[in-house]
Amino acid sequence: MARYVLYRLAMAVPLFLGAALLIFVAGHLAPGDPVQTLLGDRYTAATGAVLRHQLGLDRPLAAQFVDYLGQLATFRFGTSYVNPGLRVGDLLRTALPISLRLATLAVALAAIAGTVLGVTAATARGRPLDRLIQFGVVLGLSVPSFVTAAALVYLFALHLRLLPVAGWGHPADYVLPVTVLAVAPLAFITRIARSSVGQALLEDYVRTARSKGLRTPRVLFRHALRNAALPIVTTVGMAFGTAIVGAFVVEVVFNVPGIARVAVNAIFQRDYTVLQATVLVYTALFSFVNLAVDVSYAYLNPRVRY
Amino acid sequence: MSATERRTALRRALGGDRLAAVSAGFLLVLVVLAAIGPFAMRYTYDGQDLDALFRGPGAAHWFGTDQFGRDSFTRIVYGARVSLAVGFAAVAGESLLGMTWGTVAGYYGGAVDHALMRVVDLLIGFPTILLAILVTGIFGPSLTNIVVALVLTAWPGTARTIRSEVVAIREREYIDGARALGATTSRILARHLVPNVVHLLIVRATLDVSTLVLAEATLSFIGIGVQPPRPSWGQMIYESFQYLDAHPLLLVFPAAALSVTVIAFNLVGEFLSRVLDPRYSVARR
Repeated sequence: MARYVLYRLAMAVPLFLGAALLIFVAGHLAPGDPVQTLLGDRYTAATGAVLRHQLGLDRPLAAQFVDYLGQLATFRFGTSYVNPGLRVGDLLRTALPISLRLATLAVALAAIAGTVLGVTAATARGRPLDRLIQFGVVLGLSVPSFVTAAALVYLFALHLRLLPVAGWGHPADYVLPVTVLAVAPLAFITRIARSSVGQALLEDYVRTARSKGLRTPRVLFRHALRNAALPIVTTVGMAFGTAIVGAFVVEVVFNVPGIARVAVNAIFQRDYTVLQATVLVYTALFSFVNLAVDVSYAYLNPRVRY
Repeated sequence: MSATERRTALRRALGGDRLAAVSAGFLLVLVVLAAIGPFAMRYTYDGQDLDALFRGPGAAHWFGTDQFGRDSFTRIVYGARVSLAVGFAAVAGESLLGMTWGTVAGYYGGAVDHALMRVVDLLIGFPTILLAILVTGIFGPSLTNIVVALVLTAWPGTARTIRSEVVAIREREYIDGARALGATTSRILARHLVPNVVHLLIVRATLDVSTLVLAEATLSFIGIGVQPPRPSWGQMIYESFQYLDAHPLLLVFPAAALSVTVIAFNLVGEFLSRVLDPRYSVARR
């Protein structure tokens, strides 16, 4: 087990280095000369050369890349390219927790509701209730999140006026973003829960439990769900990844000041340093989520041995 | 299965699958509209008519007009053009790359396989949106860059699917037979392996189109995809949010176009996977 975790951690290193290299190279290929931008009107061949030397931009690319890695390793992301008074680290520190909180709430909602719906569908297999849930799953998986967002905003914010349209600060502001973010994970957790619980219900030990007179809820939760838990847990882990990506749409729609918002603004403003930092944060998040999913899978399933 | 048997099986499966047939019909109409629509349109996608803002659907404007008096139907048809062009181009690119990568890895096995598949493992967990942000954020959101970003995210999945099938086929007798007859590696790959995995590629590509069309719409919605004035569904949906309260229909048409297209590609893809998969027997239905 420890060996497997170490192996997976080692696998994350090239991914991270690769991302850093990609970002570094892309930054150098990007149109525009940072020295010219910084100096503006005062740019001449002489002042340019001096500043370029001061910034270390005249050194070999490989040396610059090593420096860059050193900065990353010590969490020095530098200052914003467009707005030099702003430190990228501070920007991430305020934005990241907001996105993580949204994602966590959405995944929690999806995990609970998805398991309940999945178990319900599995016990009602083939009946109208099951078909209704299955139809909902297909809808949830195929309707784009911004369309769901629009429908919910129209209904609950504009029509019924129960919730704010957009904005940030009040607890009520969380309701719609979390719901929209939860839809896709909810759909596939339901699907997985339905099929794995349905499978477990056909097993001999469930028949035995029933025949010895246990009541249905006990059979369901103590026997079927426990044995069906593995795929569900793995799916919940993957749902976290989905929720982090989903934040791009949700933070734009509901004007949430999270990390996705920061990334999108950085693209619009061509703010390379901020963009680089956000891409690295996302790479780290995804490596971590993938690692957590695979390790939890190995841990939970004694048949998987690495 | 002989050719006639296969045809009957196809027909029977189609008959039993009205939804897939309807979806295929819809997609055909969409492709034709996207291809010839712009030449048959009364309006242009950016032609403004300030006397006809926010018109409802009618004879002059089938789907009504938007905040600049532009004809919504025309814009949706142009949006289909963009969505399908980006989707098909990206699928062609990722299929080619994934097919080649997966076939080579699966056929040669050993160290080659190991090295190639580690790259796939690294990339497969990476979300589309992140790569797209990297590519479009740094090089700018041109159509080419969007396609490149989509290809980069989609190909590892295809490579993995193809590889697993090639690994299974590689051990079959007819491959051994071809080798014993003196066939070169490239001939075995091109004549024996590829034709036997191509059905998987067709299924995957169809399903991938739906994912990629949705990804393009998402990028355009966020504002880092197709740039105005060129219309795209995602962007039309984003713009319509501002007028959601007073003019919800502005959202309904592009949202419906996008959702129905995505669902249709999925249904056709699932249908193809049932029909083309040799392990799926129609008799068992």
